Amino acid sequence: MAALRLDLSVALRTFRLQLALETERETVAIVGPSGAGKSTVLRAVAGLVGAAGTVEVNGHDWSSLPPERRSVGFVFQDYALFPHLSVRGNVAFAGPPGDVLERLGIEHLAHARPRELSGGERQRVALARALARQPDVLLLDEPLAALDPHTRDAVRVELRATLRELGLPTLVVTHDFVDAAALAERVGVLVDGRIVQMGRADELIASPATPFVARFAGGNVLHGRARRLGTLTSVELSDRTVVTSTDEAQGVVAAIVYPWEVTLARALPADSAQNHVRAVVSSVVPVANRVRVTVGAVTAEVTAESAQRLQIKEGEVLVATWKATATRLVSL
Amino acid sequence: MRAAFAVIAALALAFLALPVVAIFLRVSPATLVRELGDPVARDALVVSLRTSALAQLLVVVLGTPTAYMLATRRFRGRSVLLTLVELPLVLPPAVAGIGLLAAFGRSGLLSTSLAFTQSAVVLAVSFVAAPFYVRTAVAAFESIDETLVAAARTLGARPWRVFARIALPLAASGLGAGLALSFARGLGEFGATIMFAGSLQRVTQTLPLGIYAEFAQSFDVALAMGALLVAFSFTLLLGVKWLRSDWISPSRFAPSVSS
Amino acid sequence: MSLLAVFAAASLTAVFPGIDRAPRFQFGGSDQLAFQIRQGAPADVFASASPKYAQQLHARGLCSKPKVFATNTLVLIVPRANAAHIRSVYDLRRRGIKLVVGAPGVPIGDYTRTLLARLHLRSALSNVVSNETDVKLVVAKVALGEADAGFVYRTDVKPAGKRVIQLALPATVQPTVKYELCIPTKRKHSQLAARFVREVLSRRGRAALKAAGFGLP
Repeated sequence: MAALRLDLSVALRTFRLQLALETERETVAIVGPSGAGKSTVLRAVAGLVGAAGTVEVNGHDWSSLPPERRSVGFVFQDYALFPHLSVRGNVAFAGPPGDVLERLGIEHLAHARPRELSGGERQRVALARALARQPDVLLLDEPLAALDPHTRDAVRVELRATLRELGLPTLVVTHDFVDAAALAERVGVLVDGRIVQMGRADELIASPATPFVARFAGGNVLHGRARRLGTLTSVELSDRTVVTSTDEAQGVVAAIVYPWEVTLARALPADSAQNHVRAVVSSVVPVANRVRVTVGAVTAEVTAESAQRLQIKEGEVLVATWKATATRLVSL
Repeated sequence: MRAAFAVIAALALAFLALPVVAIFLRVSPATLVRELGDPVARDALVVSLRTSALAQLLVVVLGTPTAYMLATRRFRGRSVLLTLVELPLVLPPAVAGIGLLAAFGRSGLLSTSLAFTQSAVVLAVSFVAAPFYVRTAVAAFESIDETLVAAARTLGARPWRVFARIALPLAASGLGAGLALSFARGLGEFGATIMFAGSLQRVTQTLPLGIYAEFAQSFDVALAMGALLVAFSFTLLLGVKWLRSDWISPSRFAPSVSS
Repeated sequence: MSLLAVFAAASLTAVFPGIDRAPRFQFGGSDQLAFQIRQGAPADVFASASPKYAQQLHARGLCSKPKVFATNTLVLIVPRANAAHIRSVYDLRRRGIKLVVGAPGVPIGDYTRTLLARLHLRSALSNVVSNETDVKLVVAKVALGEADAGFVYRTDVKPAGKRVIQLALPATVQPTVKYELCIPTKRKHSQLAARFVREVLSRRGRAALKAAGFGLP
């Protein structure tokens, strides 16, 4: 008996959301682009939207229950804190607060109003309120999206620890693969109402089922035509650049390269790597202690130190390098 | 161009303000206060306050659930009902009077003997004032973030609790503004009252009816009652402005995430 | 279209347009019309249901010397159904009767109070449920059946049609109801106004008034 078993079908505006999913007491992330129906999954489990099919929790069928009789802890994207109630009032609305304020480190905010709180504090209050309900299932809708980047990193770590400790069947919806990978044991990629791939985050990165999954996981997706040459496959891209891979494929493919597997140099290096792309740097974006550099069609991620050492600037010509083993091919 | 607009604006504002100001300038404040002591004025004030209070109680008790239903449910004929609720806003008071007689008169549909009683005044005031409250209340309930309602339900709140603990407090200032508008309209009600309730001192003669009965007999008393109504209405409108600014202020609901 | 503005007592509503269709008529309580004329309302002729208001205007120099042109008598009317079973004016003493009268200061109201005093029926005033500001409102409320009885002019009965029944009152207690015409001063149309007054006083005018139930001086 699964802790949470879903078999849902909901008509959305332009497509139908269809989802079958079984989870144990673990966190499953549902990722996908906006409008893929991610939030609808959570709303269907909570009973906020009508759905055909079944929602079964610990063997109990919830399908015909109204929202208030489904034991869910729902953390909404903007947290949906009641503006007229204090932090304690918000939490107590769900049930006796017990020690949940202390556990989440917000007891000192008990009498504050939501509008007086920072983003991170609101997130914790929303979680505390959801937990005060003593839910059988936890539903988190973009729990980190409303936070600024700095707070976000800290809250992500904190939330991950909390979810592990709670051990509840949890569904997290996010559009950010990094958040999904950090928070969830399993990640499902939802596109146009269907899960296109479900697995551990590292599995999705290692063998993306579609170019979309790869791009979502942060990879460069290069479209071209594959030809087998001996033990390798060479892919000719539309701009005539040739990319080499160890994967076997024929015909139209997507070649996937992850930014952290691409190195940068000022001159063509004399190394064992098969792939070298010499092109103009079109953007340089710092991300935390790394820098994302786009060279031609390929984005590389290098440390801030390396970027400084190379003195990378937009408009200069650099060589991006990666190995044939780092080029995954997906037939289209 | 700017000067021309300023002149036009000044003229328009003067036109609007003049009759109101004139009420207070025509006789001395001392006379106004003295004339308010006139039994006709005093009785009219008591009748007005009593019937308005009862009418507004009726409006709030019946209008709030109605507005909540209209704001939160989607059903066939909803827009027809919304229009029906707003109809008394645009009906001439005389039509309201005829309608009330046709409905509640002795030979009316319901055939009651309410005419000439204070209950008739309460009905007339409720009828013309309720739309002001209901309309504002519908807007106030509609402006509540649906996510908050959804959140309340996922937290185990049944519809009644959602209404009492979430919708009512969040709509409170909007409801207050609606009540003030409705109260102001009700205090000024004249046409429907004189047709349906008649005019009898201490029973059905409200301030506007008192003014009408007195203006040819004792102009100063009529002026004093007029001044009183102006003061009431002005206070109520100020209240509405204050409540509304609070109600539609975006800072009230927006998640002002600190940076 | 004549520019002549005639301000006339409400009880003349049915008869004046029959005498002359041309003027713009404004019908209402005589007290309110007089008040409006005092405030400068553009009236070229004033026809009052009581000498009091025309004389007041004349005394202030606001209109010419008033002329009596008609008389009237009061009647008691009850709704056709007569649910309160009122057979005579003395039934008005019964508790619970809904009596509608003119407000004090309005001619019909003052006449009604004079009449009741002469009948030693002042106690009937405790049954008054509404003091109406003109006689038409009294008629309307009785005709609708909302009120059980009301005092109006004899001339108001015919326009109300079959909806009301008229109960006669003893001639000895009738107050003198005199209608007076006067021409407000400082108006441009005094010639037209004088012609209208002549028309009302003419044989044709008197016949129309008589047909409507007025008495003639």
